[in-house]
Amino acid sequence: MIKEKDGKRYFFRFTLNQRFQHITMASCVITLILTGMPLKFKQAFWAPYLYNLFGGIHVAPIVHKVAGSTLLLLFAYHLIYVLVTISNNYITPLKQKGQLTAGNLIKTLINLPIVPNIKDLEDIRDLLKYLLYLSDKPPEGAQFTWKEKFDYWAPFWGIVIIGSSGLIMWHKELVTRFLPGLVINFALIAHSDEALLAMLFLFIWHFYNVHLSPSVFPIGTVFLTGYLSEEQMAEEHYQQYREVMTAAGLEDQMLPLHGTRPQKGAEEDMPVTAEDSVPDFAGEAKTTDN
Amino acid sequence: MTLKLILKFIGGWGIVILGFTLFLPVGATAADIGNCLLCHKYPGLSRVDEEGKFRLLYVNEDIFHQSVHSKIQCEGCHADVKKIPHDPVKKVDCFIQCHVIEPSSETKFSHKDVQSFLEASVHAKVDEYGNPKKFSEDMPTCLDCHDNPLYRPLSFFKTVRPGISETAAGRCRVCHKKDEFIYRFYNHITTRLHKIRNPRNVAEVCARCHDDPEIVKRHELDTLAAYSYGETFHGKAAFFLSERVPDCLDCHVNRGQSVHQMLSSANPNSITHKNNKDMICSNLDCHPKATPGFSAYKVHPEFNPGQSPAQYYFTVFFLVLAGGTLLPLMGIMGLDLIRRLFPHAALKRRKKP
Repeated sequence: MIKEKDGKRYFFRFTLNQRFQHITMASCVITLILTGMPLKFKQAFWAPYLYNLFGGIHVAPIVHKVAGSTLLLLFAYHLIYVLVTISNNYITPLKQKGQLTAGNLIKTLINLPIVPNIKDLEDIRDLLKYLLYLSDKPPEGAQFTWKEKFDYWAPFWGIVIIGSSGLIMWHKELVTRFLPGLVINFALIAHSDEALLAMLFLFIWHFYNVHLSPSVFPIGTVFLTGYLSEEQMAEEHYQQYREVMTAAGLEDQMLPLHGTRPQKGAEEDMPVTAEDSVPDFAGEAKTTDN
Repeated sequence: MTLKLILKFIGGWGIVILGFTLFLPVGATAADIGNCLLCHKYPGLSRVDEEGKFRLLYVNEDIFHQSVHSKIQCEGCHADVKKIPHDPVKKVDCFIQCHVIEPSSETKFSHKDVQSFLEASVHAKVDEYGNPKKFSEDMPTCLDCHDNPLYRPLSFFKTVRPGISETAAGRCRVCHKKDEFIYRFYNHITTRLHKIRNPRNVAEVCARCHDDPEIVKRHELDTLAAYSYGETFHGKAAFFLSERVPDCLDCHVNRGQSVHQMLSSANPNSITHKNNKDMICSNLDCHPKATPGFSAYKVHPEFNPGQSPAQYYFTVFFLVLAGGTLLPLMGIMGLDLIRRLFPHAALKRRKKP
């Protein structure tokens, strides 16, 4: 879980399989955006240039369909991957213990680390209080923060909506044997407007969190290496950071929670957590906080 | 030295004649019997007419010779010009007989038949009883849709591409001796095998009236037709110059007829009538597997609660979803950036446990 290199600690986050899935999805999504948005914004000055870069009206739609099909195949693979992972990591152990009941299964699924929970709502509340200067303590993120769950479930919904509407438009003759023609109108609206939302969500929100935020600028590398730096781990996943460091017997070397560095005149109020009481690392944290 | 010898040889007059011929318009035309290009060859020739409109009167001879009317003499259409310099000319009347002989009937050629087609079409100025329609002045005449179009020849050698197939022209030369005739005939036939305008240009022509909100309102039409067409995949592909997608005429003109015979969708004989619409999409070249359900697709929806309420509110749902998702998240991003300026500040601090 913890890897040390050049005197720095790195925390394992994503397996090679997960990184492969992510980078495949990212490549497909970027290709889909580049070959789809010129059609949506055909009047824009850049639209013909961008579209011609992908072969124009006779080739770009084929590129779009290839990328879309690849993404849908990846989505199917991901669903299988999720089911197999849940089966191996949660259902099989339950079965071995003889505790596989419907109630336990539902409880297990609800408690999966990627499923939104009450803590996420509390974290959002705490984050807003922190951002509005009403509190000096940011939320302590778990393995997956509410932002990451948003980043996971938003594209999940997006692929379902955009993928199904894309398939409807692609196979419109077949679909309209069973459904009225108006379904093509709705498919076009859903495909186009949900894609715009997805694009803006990814390039504004996701990119800010993983690449453009002052903590990670100019690029976050966890999607390539699978490891997160200690500073980012402490900033974004403090709850998990504490668990991992404690498990490794390194609790005395933990960084303080982001934004809680003791400062002059405030020492009386601080610290409230064990990690804040480690003055040796307060100075180091200062460089990473800003 | 050599130049001096040549000059001596041809003499001063030779220089004058040589200079004159150099500046003659290239390929001075046989069609220009009235010598109209004497004046109209100058690119700047123009005037402001009585209505205050700027009129460019320049005729580019090279371009004119690529046009479908290149064999027609100027006075064939501008029949009121009898002397030079001439008085202000009238608008061209496309229904006059011109000097070209129509080869199949060997009579003087005329577009007059178009007039009878047009009078029975949705674009007629009079109704079926011969009474003037409301706002009949809005109805198009020839020049509202047509200019003097250029040939768009096609080559069919191995692949279809724009241009002339010399392989085909070589076969023509076996019987026909004049290249001028061969190329003109080739141009005429292959231009007619497809359309003189691409789908985007066709939509632009129709848009002159059908995207004019005043005209659309006056005639109680239910859409800005070219605009709503432009919002479909067909319209977007046409915008990017695809010629494989349908334009306005492909759906609105009965098969086997001309655009001048277009009928209202309320007319039971029209292909756009609700009982006949199925035949539009299932064209062999389009969607041969299309069912009646497929043809029920709304081709001209607008973001307008009156015209397409279901589509309107469905779009609004996505707009609200986008705004409701992105704006709060962007707000958090902005607050996050501000918070980083003063990471340790807070109105309320945690108390000691």
